[in-house]
Amino acid sequence: MCNALGIVSFGDTNVDVLGMSNYRPVAAINFLGRYRIIDFLLSNMTNSGISNIQVYIKNKPRSLIDHVKESNFNINSKRGKIHVLYGESQITQEIYNHDISSYMSNMEFIERSNKPYVIVAPSHMVYRIDFNDVLNKHIETGNDITLIYTSTDHAKEEFFMADIVNIDSGNRVTSFVKNRGKYKSRNISLECYVMSKRLFIEMVNKAANTSSLYWFKDIIAESCDDLDIRGYQHKGYVACINSLPAYYRASMELRQYQYAKDLFKQDWPIHTKTNDSCPTLYDNGASVSNSIVANGCQIEGTVINSVIGRNVIIKKGAIVENCVILPNAYIGEDTKINTCVVDREAIVHHVKKLQGTLESPIYVKRRDRI
Amino acid sequence: MRNNNMVAMILAGGRGTRLFDLTKKVAKPAVHYGGKYRIIDFPLSNCANSDISVVGVLTQYESVLLNSYVARDHHWGLNSKDGGVFVLPPREKDETGFGLYRGTADAIGQNLDFLDQEEAEYVLILSGDHIYKMNYAKMLNDHIKSKADATIAVLEVPLKEASRFGIMNCDKNDLIIEFEEKPKKPKSNLASMGIYIFTYKTLKKYLLADEKNPDSSHDFGKDIIPNYLNDNRVLKAHRFVGYWKDVGTIDSLWEANMDLLNNQNELNLFDPSWKIYTEDTNTAPQFIGEHAKIKRAYITQGCIVDGLVQDSVLFTDVKVGEDAKVVDTVVMNGAIIGKGAKVTRCIVAENVKIPDHMVIGDANSENIELVTKNTVSKVGVKDV
Repeated sequence: MCNALGIVSFGDTNVDVLGMSNYRPVAAINFLGRYRIIDFLLSNMTNSGISNIQVYIKNKPRSLIDHVKESNFNINSKRGKIHVLYGESQITQEIYNHDISSYMSNMEFIERSNKPYVIVAPSHMVYRIDFNDVLNKHIETGNDITLIYTSTDHAKEEFFMADIVNIDSGNRVTSFVKNRGKYKSRNISLECYVMSKRLFIEMVNKAANTSSLYWFKDIIAESCDDLDIRGYQHKGYVACINSLPAYYRASMELRQYQYAKDLFKQDWPIHTKTNDSCPTLYDNGASVSNSIVANGCQIEGTVINSVIGRNVIIKKGAIVENCVILPNAYIGEDTKINTCVVDREAIVHHVKKLQGTLESPIYVKRRDRI
Repeated sequence: MRNNNMVAMILAGGRGTRLFDLTKKVAKPAVHYGGKYRIIDFPLSNCANSDISVVGVLTQYESVLLNSYVARDHHWGLNSKDGGVFVLPPREKDETGFGLYRGTADAIGQNLDFLDQEEAEYVLILSGDHIYKMNYAKMLNDHIKSKADATIAVLEVPLKEASRFGIMNCDKNDLIIEFEEKPKKPKSNLASMGIYIFTYKTLKKYLLADEKNPDSSHDFGKDIIPNYLNDNRVLKAHRFVGYWKDVGTIDSLWEANMDLLNNQNELNLFDPSWKIYTEDTNTAPQFIGEHAKIKRAYITQGCIVDGLVQDSVLFTDVKVGEDAKVVDTVVMNGAIIGKGAKVTRCIVAENVKIPDHMVIGDANSENIELVTKNTVSKVGVKDV
């Protein structure tokens, strides 16, 4: 049982899945057919026994509130709570809309929690972790802050604009720099911090007093010398979904079972909102390979190397290749689409051919008709 | 909100002996169907969709799984403040001691205190092992409008099959004048679906009388309905049009699953206005592998497919290995079809592991083969 308050933060200004985030926060973007991105972090928290969780939203709260409210994250509904919070105070300019201002305006709810520790993590980092292991290590070491990081050999292609964390031989965090894709092998911060609640509140206040433009990560970076910040290496699969190409890349990787099996373990269920869709009908003419398919689909066409969301209809003669199709989309007869991300309820019908590239997959807007 | 004071009572105590090993440890209503469902999801979802709030489920045979399954009433949205799913197994009583349910009518008769407590005005009697979608609210309207004491849902069946059913002979206003159980020479083709609405006050009298009758078999079809007719009570036939199946045998269970492969099938589980709800299994989406070939199949969450699946239905968490061939087959939850194995015209029971390269079933077989853990250990591995 993890004796911590879970805080789901939102990513900084470098986290923006272009197009899709016009309609919802990154946390609520549909992912892998039947999930929203936030499900992975919330499941990590509740599976670790965290039953008091605050989810902070920067803007466009509707879809995330609906999703969190209607999902069953497997916590006691009386003693547990997933609290959806957003900045209550008037924000005149977008640059003032950051995590510190959200925490400041909801400070009473943070103070009210009776948990001695907090675990702060953004939802756009997708991985599977038992937070008990991290918290136990943190308590055992007795340091001020524990930061989870991953070591990657793909820092040139992935984790762009995420934080590289420099760690000395004693496992102490010494500094942060932005990853601009210059180097292959780097340690990347998952922006997940474990500390006492008292220190968290202190840091939030300090950030607010230092600069009204500071994010929480800024005050952490500034405190490397004064505080004992230790790294905790996460060894499993990590996807950092901070842009449309990154979302696309993660989808293409995780449609393959050899990657996905690291996230989907029998004893570590990923909780989400059930939609009560029936199974998928692979009808006459369907040909499907190397793909993830959610329930409720009716497929009569060809699907190769793709992620197909719930209740998607793919008509006769259509060829869907290297695509991510979000729930309730419709792919009409004889359309050929390759390297596209088709948002919810979009209809691809009149355009018979669409071809995107890995660097910039074609994005078809929500409810668009083309 | 409680929209009406009709309480549904689902008879879910049946064993379903002709389903053999599938009902060895679970009652028939809990048997899996259609990829992600259990049969009892159909009456439960119909209740939810018909705005019924209070549902009693009468269980008896092997009820541990069924009781815990239906008790999670939030799966069907039946967890409103005033409503719920109430599990009603036989219990020990002060005066009569412990007695099993002796028949369908006795099951209700032993729970009159429950119906009193819920202040039922109408009682809807349902069977837990039928697959169909039906709006019981419409049936209640019909019942009220025709001022009936009981309303029985009927289905038109082909006349030559009518002798397998309980047949209702009606007048021109669909009022029932005669009921014949499995008649040799049927006079009509209106078969009872085992779905009844009773006005509770009247029913209570009949059930109390029936309890005391030593010659009664305590059955709605054999005893209560004939008694109503003898007393010239008003019995209305409510005509149902649509898909309805009582899956009593391995062959009919297989057929009912195969019906889902037809994109025009009448059951139409894709209809968003009348969803069938079920448990939430926390499974990953379907992973369709590099070597997969899928030709006409109905597949649900949690499956990992890397072989050929043709004209088949795969239930939750089924794995089909590379080069395996699954044809004309129903594969139930958690079963694994090993690499290179070939399964034709079978129902593979839950959690059965078919070893690599095993060949089982026959494309020309008369009956569908039920594959259980025992079958797999008896049949040797043949060369392909």
